Amino acid sequence: MVNIVIIGGGWAGCAAAVAARQAGAEVLLLEKTDMLLGLGNVGGIMRNNGRYTAAEEMISLGIGKLFGITDRAARHSMVEFPGHSHATLYDVTKVEPMVRKLLYEMGVEIRLMSRAIDTIKKGNAIKGILMADDTVTEGDVFVETTGSTGPMGNCLKYGNGCSMCILRCPSFGPRTSISQRAGVEDILGQRGDECYGAFSGSCKLNKDSLSEEIRETLNQRGVVVLKVPTEDVKVEKLSVKVCQQYALKEYAENIVLLDTGHAKLMTPFYPLDKLRKIPGMENARYEDPYSGGKGNSVRYLSIAPRNNSMKVDGLENLLCGGEKAGLFVGHTEAITTGSLAGHNSVRLTLGMPLLELPRNLVTGDIIAYANERIKTKEGLKKRYTFAGAEYFERMKERKMYTIDKQEIERRVDRMDLTDIFSEKLV
Amino acid sequence: MIGRKLECIDAGSEYCPCFLAEANECITCSHLQGKEFCDCNWRGVCIYQEYVWAGHRKKEIRSSYPAAVIEKNNISANTIVYKLQVTKTLARELDNPGAYVFMRDKAKPVFFDVPMSVMAVDTIKGEIYVALQVQGAKTKALAGPENDIIVRGPYWNGILGQRYLKSIKDGSCLVIARGIGQAPAVKVVRYLSRGNNRVRIIVDPGKAGAVFGNEFIKDLPYEIEELDLNSKQGVKVVNRYLKNESYDLVFSGGSDKQHLYIIQEIDRLENKPFIVVTNNNEICCGEGICGSCSTRIDSGVRVKACKVQLDVRKVIERRILNG
Repeated sequence: MVNIVIIGGGWAGCAAAVAARQAGAEVLLLEKTDMLLGLGNVGGIMRNNGRYTAAEEMISLGIGKLFGITDRAARHSMVEFPGHSHATLYDVTKVEPMVRKLLYEMGVEIRLMSRAIDTIKKGNAIKGILMADDTVTEGDVFVETTGSTGPMGNCLKYGNGCSMCILRCPSFGPRTSISQRAGVEDILGQRGDECYGAFSGSCKLNKDSLSEEIRETLNQRGVVVLKVPTEDVKVEKLSVKVCQQYALKEYAENIVLLDTGHAKLMTPFYPLDKLRKIPGMENARYEDPYSGGKGNSVRYLSIAPRNNSMKVDGLENLLCGGEKAGLFVGHTEAITTGSLAGHNSVRLTLGMPLLELPRNLVTGDIIAYANERIKTKEGLKKRYTFAGAEYFERMKERKMYTIDKQEIERRVDRMDLTDIFSEKLV
Repeated sequence: MIGRKLECIDAGSEYCPCFLAEANECITCSHLQGKEFCDCNWRGVCIYQEYVWAGHRKKEIRSSYPAAVIEKNNISANTIVYKLQVTKTLARELDNPGAYVFMRDKAKPVFFDVPMSVMAVDTIKGEIYVALQVQGAKTKALAGPENDIIVRGPYWNGILGQRYLKSIKDGSCLVIARGIGQAPAVKVVRYLSRGNNRVRIIVDPGKAGAVFGNEFIKDLPYEIEELDLNSKQGVKVVNRYLKNESYDLVFSGGSDKQHLYIIQEIDRLENKPFIVVTNNNEICCGEGICGSCSTRIDSGVRVKACKVQLDVRKVIERRILNG
């Protein structure tokens, strides 16, 4: 029997669980809060720009279950908003129970409110994970998908303090960097000014607190763009954002709202009194983070060095995915990296060569490209996403961006990788 | 695994962050150890946040209070039980196993402060009971016929293994208290009674020369047995209980030698009960500053025993077996 332990139940951890289970392993998923999906509970944007290509590649590679859920949970599809095309907006209030149900049906053992705090090592191998309640969780191979956000001290030192985000550190305790506890030093992302970390890029407003007109437009079209009063336009604020794909001038001069169940406001934070000056937003209040008028969570403070098979350097049996694995932004990126980590955890246990996705697929290329760039000073200040900024430009230049499903299927098939993630290895 | 995460008894209390945070010597928070990023031993609050919000300063420190002597009972040639009037707030804060105060005679300088376990409290009247065994200069100064007493507190690290004590419910427990170790045992027994535990109590007058704790637990339905733990008969009885009754928790109030003997006996058992013991380190300031309680643990790290919930086995083995 192959026992895989995944630490962190966000999108990357859930994807790793699906992949490892599809490959035939026994899978235990540890999550510190009372919900899966982590920041996925407040996100919602899929399939915009190059994420469409990536999602279809993953489906062709045989790991489409989570994309199936985000498609089914969509409130809107093929949405256009500044700089972005053909986005799907999933309903954040529906998606977590759907993912939880899928994992249970697949036979993944989920332990909620189980916080990992340290590792028990033998040589360069992890033997077990020490939990906050003093118990030890043992396994053959471990996958770390703990993310890179928070905890409170980091959000205070590198941000505007705890903004009471969905991770709820005060309630469930802080994230622990498992790789760092195991002796592998974390890599730290930077902002333009070389300060460490970056703010999460959006917040959520309570839809019922907005005017009827805004609400209706959101419900019908999925997107609302409102003008920011000239005196409040702050272009420089864009540089503190994680999501460089939304760090466009349009986002400084306008308020962009997307309907993901709540009204997703595409800015890291926005003082409430200023927000309420905008017509239709007079009664606005935040849904996530609760203190979105003041700040947002700070991310990219804990990245593990890894190879392109997602194995952490310097440790025999730890893999990583999601933000833990690089300066990635978004659910699609988390699902991509998490799936590969989960699949390879089974290969590693069996002594098989690890799978590396080829660079003529966008999913393989982003993993390799982000890994090259993180080793450079400039690269530490960038973020890597199929949806925009540097990497989407690269996709377009290399003619890898397409929404032609058959073309994507052909690309995967040409590599002889169709349904590789569906193969049972155990 | 890098670094050792230590559990500070004061973390998250109203006295946290303390002087150690200001000196970048915080026991819990990595930022307040001079590191750049979070890697703390989470105790339920963010100490860095408290520190920043307090204006990058420690919180108010513990106060010293004059404590009127309500009663003073000389219960043996060298042991006195004091009943002291303190504030209701202090009494409430001391209503906890492992709680202690520093005491001194008002006429003496601050370095006469001596730590004393709080045996019982009356939170309604604001009274505390403290048992004192006269041993050296500091305790002799408190044993005079008329004393004006100053107390400083609250402090809480008088017992090691508090997390076990606080987690046990509906269990079976053995409490062994010898000499002045009876004083902290009283609060342990009362705490265990709240968790609906079965408790067997063994008391040895020891060097205190008297049994004085029973008075404070006489309302509880527990059997109290008086034994000489230094006699063959006493050892035999304790061993029999340990072997025949499957305990979930054993408390040892007494010397390190007594703790070691109990740990060694427990190691021979099939079931391994939690061990809770009195903290016998020489505590002088209680704030992690003076260094008198400083003790080395296996990794070579120096630990302030007045604040840290040490691993009982390691600290006892190091002190007794390895000198």
